[in-house]
This record gives sequence, C-alpha cells and structure tokens, in this order.
Amino acid sequence: MRTTTAPPSAGHRPPSPEPRPLRPDPARRRVAARERFAAGAFMTPAVLLVGVVLLAPFATTVYRSFFDDHRHSGFAGLHNYQLFLTDDALLRSVENTLLWVVGTVALPFALGMLIACLTDATRWSRFARLCVIIPYALSGAAVAVVWNFVLSTDGALNQLLSAVGLESLSTSWLLDWPGNTLVIICVNAWQATGVAVILILVGLQGIPPETLEAASLDGAGPWQRFRHVVLPQLRPVSIIVIGMSLANGLKSFDLLWVLTRGGPGRATETLAVSMYQETFLLQRPGAGSAIAVVLTVIVLGASWLYLRRQFDEKGA
Amino acid sequence: MNSSGTAARGGRPGPTRRRFLAGLGAGLSGLALAGCARGDSTAAVEGTASFSNDNASWDDGYALASKALQPLTGYALRPLSVPEAVAYKLVAQMTLQTSRAPDIIKWTSGYELKKLARSGQLTDLSGLWGAYADRGWISESQRDAMQYRGAVYGIPMHESYYVVFYSRPVFARLGLRVPETWDELLHCATVLKRNGATPFVGTQYGGWPAYEWFQELISKTDPDFYTALVEGKARYTDEPAVRAMGVWQDFMRKGWMTPPDYDQGKGAAELRDGRVGMFLHATWHTKNLSGADMEPLKDYDAFVLPTVGRSTKKSVITESSALAVPRRAASHEAGMANVGAWLHPDVQRAWTDYLQDGSANPVVRAGNPVVAGLRDNIAKDRRARLVRYSEASPPSLIQGNIQDLSAFMTGQMSPGATLRSMADRADEEWKTWRQDEA
Repeated sequence: MRTTTAPPSAGHRPPSPEPRPLRPDPARRRVAARERFAAGAFMTPAVLLVGVVLLAPFATTVYRSFFDDHRHSGFAGLHNYQLFLTDDALLRSVENTLLWVVGTVALPFALGMLIACLTDATRWSRFARLCVIIPYALSGAAVAVVWNFVLSTDGALNQLLSAVGLESLSTSWLLDWPGNTLVIICVNAWQATGVAVILILVGLQGIPPETLEAASLDGAGPWQRFRHVVLPQLRPVSIIVIGMSLANGLKSFDLLWVLTRGGPGRATETLAVSMYQETFLLQRPGAGSAIAVVLTVIVLGASWLYLRRQFDEKGA
Repeated sequence: MNSSGTAARGGRPGPTRRRFLAGLGAGLSGLALAGCARGDSTAAVEGTASFSNDNASWDDGYALASKALQPLTGYALRPLSVPEAVAYKLVAQMTLQTSRAPDIIKWTSGYELKKLARSGQLTDLSGLWGAYADRGWISESQRDAMQYRGAVYGIPMHESYYVVFYSRPVFARLGLRVPETWDELLHCATVLKRNGATPFVGTQYGGWPAYEWFQELISKTDPDFYTALVEGKARYTDEPAVRAMGVWQDFMRKGWMTPPDYDQGKGAAELRDGRVGMFLHATWHTKNLSGADMEPLKDYDAFVLPTVGRSTKKSVITESSALAVPRRAASHEAGMANVGAWLHPDVQRAWTDYLQDGSANPVVRAGNPVVAGLRDNIAKDRRARLVRYSEASPPSLIQGNIQDLSAFMTGQMSPGATLRSMADRADEEWKTWRQDEA
C-alpha cells in the first residue's frame, strides 16, 4: 500500500514525465480498511489467547495481592509485600532464588561450552551429544527421584564414599543450608547442560573455517583463536543459552519440589516454591499473589535488561 | 500453495489452506468449548452416586464397597479420583460451587472439614449420625473431628490408630518382647541399636511425617496437655512440650532415629530385613507391610507407644477421613443414601478388609488380626482417643509447625527455638481463626 502511495524518493528515480494518477480516496480507504481488518483478524486469536490465559490472570493476581488472607478478605495495602522484609522464610527464599539465578546461568553455560568445545569435530561428538542430551529429555520430577536416591543421607553417594574409605566426606547433602541449595543447583545443571551443549555445538559448526585458518596464518594460538575468533561468533547462541537458563532458573519448581519440597523447614525454597507453599499449603492467597507478582517482575526485568543489552550490542 | 496457483494449474486437488485452517479452527473451538463446558463427570447418572476423592490407589476398595452398598441403597459408587491431594482440594472446592457438585466427597476431617462447613457448602449430616449412634454403629469419640458448631458434616470413612510396628522374627531373634513401659521401650531401642538396627523410623521427608513423633511424645507425656495444646488452650512452650522435645532430641543424639530425609516408602522392607527396628505409623500402613510380603502376626505386629510416665493416662492417636455430602450435589439423594449406609457392617467389612485397617463402626471387627488385636487392647485399656495433630488445629498453623519440626529434626533449630516459633505461630493463627469465626 505504502509503495503505491508514497512519493518516489527524489534523486534515486528519474522523474516520470507524467505523474501517476492517484487512486480515488474512497478506494484507498476501502483497501486500507480491508487490510486493517485482515491484520486484526489474524491478530485477534493471539491477543485473545494471551489476554485470557495470561494478562487477565496476572491482573487478578496483582489485584489479589493487595488483600489480606482472612475469611472475609479486606484491603491490606502493601502488607503482603512487606513480608519480603519481615518474613525469614521469604528472605531465605530470595537468597536461594539469587543463588539459583547465578548457578543456573553460569553452570550450564560454562559446562556446555566446555563439553561442546572438547567434543566438537571429534569422532565421538555424536555420542557425547547423546550422553549429555539424555538428562534434558527427562522430566524434572524423574530427575529428582533419581537424585534423591543418590543424595539422601543413607543414599548411594554416601554409601559409595563409605565403600571407598572416604566416610569422613559423607554428609547430609540435602539437609544443611546452603549446601543443599548448591547441591540442587548442581543437579539442575546436570539436567540443563545438555541443551546448552547442543546449541553451542550448532553455533560452533556455523563458524566459517576460513576465519580460523586466517587466524592461524596470522600466528594466533589455540587460546587466542578461541578467545578472539570463536567466542565472538558464538555470541548469538550464547544469548539464547543464557536467556533460557535465566528464565529456567527463576521459574524452577518441579526438581526442587520433588527433591525436598522446599525443606527441611523452608530452607531450600525459591520464590516459585514459596508462591506455591503460601497459596496452596498455607492457604494465604494474598501472600502467594504478592510473591507471584514480585517473581514476575524479576523475571521480566532480568530478561528485558539482559536481552536489551545483548541485542543493542549486536545492533539489532 | 494455492496462492501460487498450483492447484488451478491442474495439480492434484487437495484441501485448500483456507479449508485446512477452517477445519483446524473448528477443531480447536470444539476443544475449547468442551474444555469450558461444565464437567459431565459429576452430572447425575441413574443408579450411581459420584464419589470425588484424592486416593486413586483405593479404587479397588471403592468397587468392593460399592458392591456392598448397591443392594442396600440402590446406588453404586462412581469414584472420581484425583491423584494429587493439593490438586484435589482445589478441584473439589471449585466444583462445590457449581450446580453439579459431586454426590459425595472425601475430605480431611477436623479443621479442614470445619472450614468447608463454615462456607455453607456441605449438608448437615446430624440426622445420619444420630441414626448410626442409635444402632451403636459409630463411636462418639469421632464426633469432634466431624462437627462444626454442633452439627455433623462428615461420616468417618475408617478409623486408624498411630502405633509402633515391629518385626516379630527380629524381636524374637534379639530376645525382645513388646514393651509395656517406657523403660522397656528404651531397652528395646538399646538392644536394637547394639545389633546394628536403627531403632525408630522418624523422618521429615514428605513434610507431614515430621509431626508423627511430636504428637506421639506429647500425648504419651500428657494426653490432656496434648488436647489443650491442639485446641489452642495451652502453649507450645509449656513444660510437657519441653519435656517431650527433650526426649525426642535425646533419641536423635543417641542415633536411635533414621536420618531426617529417610523415605518411609522403604520402611516396610527395612523393617522386614531388620535394618530398622520399630516403625511409628498409622494402621493403614498394614497394606504397605503386606506389599513387602509380611504376614500379620507372623512377620509383624504392633503396639501402642507406652506412656513416658507410669501414671500417665493411656491414650491413642486416631485418624479418619470424612465422607461429606455437598449441598449442591448433582444427585443429593444418592449421596445421602450411600453415606447413610457407609457404616453398615456389610459395607464396612468389604471396605476395611480391603484397606486392612480399622472400621469406624465399633461392631465391625477388622479383618487384619494385628489391627483387630490393637482395637481389643485399646478398648480393654480404655485409652483416650485423641485426634491426629494435622486435623486438630487450623490447617495453616499445622503447615507452619510442620516446617518448624522439620527444621528441628535436621538440627537447624534447637528444641527451645522450635517451640517458641510454634507458640508464636499458634498465637497468630488462633487469633486469625477466632476472628474469622466471629
């Protein structure tokens, strides 16, 4: 539409001897209206879907977070949000969430990069890929059941340590904070590294070999080639891997819930678990809503800050 | 495809994109409508009463009970099982507000039931209770957990007791006999420990098991205090609670308890193999013991934990789920008829033989000889029947206290700090409960 009505850019096109006759206004308006209608029709299902299943519940959750949890719920102002300053369990939950964010971003990315670089272009890279992707294909609940068998106090790991004479190293892996949170983050990394490896391998295979050859001819060593040639070209993949890990870390629930149910006490809860705990077990939907709102703001904020910075740097 | 004109140029005629999208749209709309429609599962079905519950593993038992119910009432049971307890609670609470509520629901007795009754969504079953009482088919001791403001809203599904299971062959091999006093219990624990077994199963894995030893030690220290405590009339920092926590901590220090992350699921097999000596649990655990190839009286038996003091009043912790009839049940008559016949001896025999647990009807003898023997002893000793901890106080108080007890079991909190935290929570939650009541 615009191409037919926009004036030709002066200087790039020879001036036509006779100006093209413009369409009559009613016809233009009809076409424009039809296009707008078509665009609206295509967008409506998506807008409705997002509105009904995402935005409306979110708006309800924000609204509910300003009400107390008595039988006849009354307006409570910011009381539910003040719990983040006064409730020890929630403070611990925020600490754990921060640990999770750091751990679930750094570990899968670093391990994924290491494994991908070590196995790329080797004969057994396909086998290695298969090995690391299998945990990713398992559900979080299944992973938790298996690791509970390994990590419980009388579990496989401690029994192994005893068998090889390292009984002094055996400990209650899932009982003492912050060790239990760190151990669960490692379990999460075990599962999440697979997809990072696959994505980074795809990125590595997309790097033109000429760039590496040119760097070699210029006398660059392996580390310099990796640092100055490979790594910059993996940037788009890295953005995806880190972005996914960030979102997964913040919303992680199934693994934690099956492994420890946020316990012992509330020691390993993250905000996602606290939200469930407060809403459904402690039956405080107001407090649960406040946690949901804070978690959503953190996820959106972190994702926006990260992606904006990355895409800006790429010039996108 | 079509827009490029291939079909028009004589290609094999096939579904157009528009037709495909229209078909897809219609299909999705159909699915959406079906999803949004009111559930047909709870709609009235001739000759049946729908039964919403959170335990699908008991479906065979419901079928047996249904066979016994049908000749009595004309209605079979139609179980609608939701396998996850929290999800069940949410689904049931939502369905109760519709015009097609299930005819019968299984619900947690005590304060969970009181909360539901308070919302006005349940039918008053006082008439049914009276009829059962007249025939001697119900025990008045269960009434507290089933009533709200004097009216009864639930009929007990069964009656379980918290007891200590032990392996008969292991006790025989070590020359131990069933402890009747606290000192004899300590002796059993000492001998078991000396012989490489962990004397007691005690865990916080799964959340709720954290209160099993708490309720047991407090009630065996002072049952009247236990009752006052769970009713909000005594404080968690009072002397009997401090004493009970001291005993518990002493057990843990001596290595008499399993690790706090012990999975009770493996308890039956470990009891059979002698790796654990005594397993404090409810009598519904008999079904798990059978699953581990243990026969009652031959491979396992059970006793009620002795009182800490010789003169302490004898008691036993009891538990039962409740059967309730929603006010808006799709087939209210069917629900009332089947709940009204649930405690009939024929139904209870079929049901409790399947469950291998005690019946809520005192005249029905349990099919499992261990449970039957326990019931006889409980009656003979005139033990006070106490309501299980999780049903005896408001749910949010219990949930919070379970977390404190978990922290205590893992050494994160001292006994004193645990009790203080529980006391503070009790003050807060009872205040909220009473405000809501007012």
